[in-house]
Amino acid sequence: MNLLDIRNLSIVMVFGNKRIIAIDRVSLAMKEGELRGLVGESGSGKSLLAQAIMAVLDEKWIVDADRFHWRGKDLMQLSISERRKVIAKDIAIIFQEPMSCLDPTTTIGEQIEEAVDDEQLTGYFWQKKQQRKLAAINLLHKVGIKKHDKCTKSYPHQLTEALCQRVMIAMALARRPMLLIADEPTAAMESTTQGQIFRLLASLNQLKNMSVLLISHDLENMTNWTNRITVMYSGQFVEAGTTEQIFTTPYHPYTKALVESTSHASLSLVPKSKLSALPGSIPILQHLPIGCRLGPRCPRAQKECVNAPKAKNHHGHLVSCHHSLKDTY
Amino acid sequence: MLIFTLRRLNLFIFTFIVLTALSFSLSYLFPGDTLINLTGQVNASPKQRLFLIEEYQYNSNVFKQYWAYLGHLADGDLGISISSHTPISYEIMNLLPATIELSVVALFIAMIIGIPIGFIAAINHEKLTDKAILSISMLGYSIPIFWLGLLAILVFSIQLGWLPSAGRISLVYEIEHITGIQFIDILISDNPYKWQAFQDATLHIIMPACVVAIAPMTIFIRLARTSMIEVLDSSYITAAKTKGLTFWQIIYRHAIRNSLVNVIRHVGLQFANLVTLAMVTEVIFSWPGIGRWLIESIFQRDYTAIQGGLLALSSFIFIVHMLTDFIYAALNPLARDRKHGA
Amino acid sequence: MARENIYQEEEFPSPLLQLWYNFKEKPFIMLAFSCSLALVFLAIFAPIITPFSSSQSHLDHILLPPAWNNDGNVSFLLGTDQLGRDMLSMLMHGASFTFGLSFIIVITSAIIGVVIGSLSALTSGFKSSFLNHFLDVILSIPSLLLAIVIVAILGTGLSNTVLAIIIVLIPQFIHTTRNEVKKEFSKDYVLASKLDGASPLRLLRYSIFPNILEKIITQATLAQSAAILDIAALGFLGLGAPTYIPEWGTMVANGIDLFYIAPWTVYFPGFAILFAVIATNLVGEGLRHALKLRKEH
Repeated sequence: MNLLDIRNLSIVMVFGNKRIIAIDRVSLAMKEGELRGLVGESGSGKSLLAQAIMAVLDEKWIVDADRFHWRGKDLMQLSISERRKVIAKDIAIIFQEPMSCLDPTTTIGEQIEEAVDDEQLTGYFWQKKQQRKLAAINLLHKVGIKKHDKCTKSYPHQLTEALCQRVMIAMALARRPMLLIADEPTAAMESTTQGQIFRLLASLNQLKNMSVLLISHDLENMTNWTNRITVMYSGQFVEAGTTEQIFTTPYHPYTKALVESTSHASLSLVPKSKLSALPGSIPILQHLPIGCRLGPRCPRAQKECVNAPKAKNHHGHLVSCHHSLKDTY
Repeated sequence: MLIFTLRRLNLFIFTFIVLTALSFSLSYLFPGDTLINLTGQVNASPKQRLFLIEEYQYNSNVFKQYWAYLGHLADGDLGISISSHTPISYEIMNLLPATIELSVVALFIAMIIGIPIGFIAAINHEKLTDKAILSISMLGYSIPIFWLGLLAILVFSIQLGWLPSAGRISLVYEIEHITGIQFIDILISDNPYKWQAFQDATLHIIMPACVVAIAPMTIFIRLARTSMIEVLDSSYITAAKTKGLTFWQIIYRHAIRNSLVNVIRHVGLQFANLVTLAMVTEVIFSWPGIGRWLIESIFQRDYTAIQGGLLALSSFIFIVHMLTDFIYAALNPLARDRKHGA
Repeated sequence: MARENIYQEEEFPSPLLQLWYNFKEKPFIMLAFSCSLALVFLAIFAPIITPFSSSQSHLDHILLPPAWNNDGNVSFLLGTDQLGRDMLSMLMHGASFTFGLSFIIVITSAIIGVVIGSLSALTSGFKSSFLNHFLDVILSIPSLLLAIVIVAILGTGLSNTVLAIIIVLIPQFIHTTRNEVKKEFSKDYVLASKLDGASPLRLLRYSIFPNILEKIITQATLAQSAAILDIAALGFLGLGAPTYIPEWGTMVANGIDLFYIAPWTVYFPGFAILFAVIATNLVGEGLRHALKLRKEH
């Protein structure tokens, strides 16, 4: 059974009397224990999607979907606060720039203790405080912070970014979620620390059978860790499949361009030849093209691309394109 | 924290030097004889004058004079008032506590009412409550304070008769002047009519303090509102929302503390503004404070008094500014490590 | 085949025009703006358009209540004071003092403050720290106290109060300008110009100044309402305009003795001050809001 089942989710921004469709009918389905990647450029709406799943968007965004199920429960019928309650119990999220996601005037220890779930503490009233402290220390050990003493007493600005991100993961683990959404967790770090964080996420995925939705713009890095990848472009669903399929046989022209721009592909290039890239850039919200939003830049665009394509399933490899590259393989 | 304190002490010493240099130079800038401006002895006989010249090093260069002036300040001698012939330090000790009382009470009223209203406006951002609060606070910010004081006297004293219109306490009560702060003096005296005196003093302070507090209150409303809006927009509040905390838990545990930190920083700057308003209010309500005394001194051309009053009042404001800086550093760990300087 | 430029021509009006469009949006603020303009008009043309001269005493019409009262006279629309002077004329003439002078004060102190502030921002090290502390000390002296001291040095009178308020407002401009210029100096586009070989003065004039103009204008609008209130306060205390000049604060002081029998002598001037300050504040608010919106787009 699917853990998270989203079908045709749209997010519309109401701006005065203009309606801008930021996310246009995206589908996402995750199973238990899966480490999923969500790839897209900045401006493709991945963070927006993550926030919509967590139900933390304010009133100016209208979220609508054909199906938005979490473990079989239909979330579209609940109000925002109810949805948030259900989601907060089972889904956790970590953000970019972890240092700014921590309250600068409270110590780390206090913030982690705050995240500890009340229901998991057994014991009497007076024992709860001690238990909460123990639980916080436990969480810090789980994410690999051995010297918890110094950590709990310090303020966020005294720690490094990687350490803050581990703290964020520890706070996310406090409620024992079934799904952890990692929204560009390593964007502000160097590659060595990036590897540490990814390794942590991968070990949590394997040991605790916790699904992870890894959102990033770095396709190459992700392919080392994920089993399945979904690609988005400018708020539209582009392609989804296993990592192997996406990397070796991309069906969508956009995915192909993305794969070709990674350094793996460029190793085999003839010196002084032109680097392959799609012309133009991602459209801004005020000027979204109709139909397939890659249309103006796509080398294979034709008349039909004025209508938005529907997702087609080819043995578990979904693609939404009128002229996919399936036939070239 | 130690380095922070040392830096502050350094600033205090520097400020003290600047303020004393400023008040010293005033005796040259004011019209009239410099020595008379400095000491206040208008009718000095020639022998007394020679003595004063020796005391204040009048015949030597400027630095020696300044040093002599500082020496006198250290002894507590600010000269004698030209108009009333009483030592100025004596006058200041009598009058400064009244001004302190008025300003501090007004500051508390402004903060205790203004900051929560600002927070409420921020929580209801862009809704009707927010707009209403902003409009009313604009009114409070624009009204000239002397007019407000007069209208308040008209409505509350003359037409409704609820509150007295002048003075600090009814003349019926005799309270010994120990600290100068009326409320403390009442409580520690052993007057049989203690509680009536306390009530009476409270009634006397309500109107002036509220009138002084109105403009700073509106500024605090704005500051608190801006600060809270900024905090509510930040990433850690969104992260806290995803942690599963309810809205009010977030506000109470994280938002208030962070927004308060930004507001407290401005209290020190606002205090000078508040004392200005207090000075005008003292004139209208005949509140026996330093502001009224200074304004009278100008009309009487009492330059020594103005010098002394300037020094005393500025030092008081600066001390309050430093106190709030300390409170701000205690609340905000980030401020402690930062280097001083704008 | 990919087309490079397929997005329609978007119209980008100049920054000044953008500011005006943003400003025009709120009707309430446009109302305040037109009131401000009316006050400016009054300030300039008052001596010509008042019904009576503001200093002319009508000894047979002393202490007349406003025209809507039974005892009032319609030719003296807002009543007269104890010397028989027409309130309406005095109020209109007072606009040029209380309101008009505030413009002069703000412009003068802004120019001086910005010049000193930007020059002081160019210094660094001990000199800069010294200037900074000095400025902090001056800012912590209450503005009225400083004005009183300056008036005590120079003597009372309207021109001296104007000078005093200019001197009092300058430190705030210095403080703001200094902070802003320091902030801009650490930005990369200034570094780029510096590497091109621009002298500090040239940097100030061409790179930094256009960018800090907005903050200066914001500070100027705040300073103007402070200036109006300060002129009125000094006039009220008797340190400003003498009693024969119909400055609004002085008018309130004149009316206190007769407060109980002729309250209109206090109500109207105070209300005029309130009106002028609200109009100035609303225009300032509108400007700040428009500037913020323009930055966001």
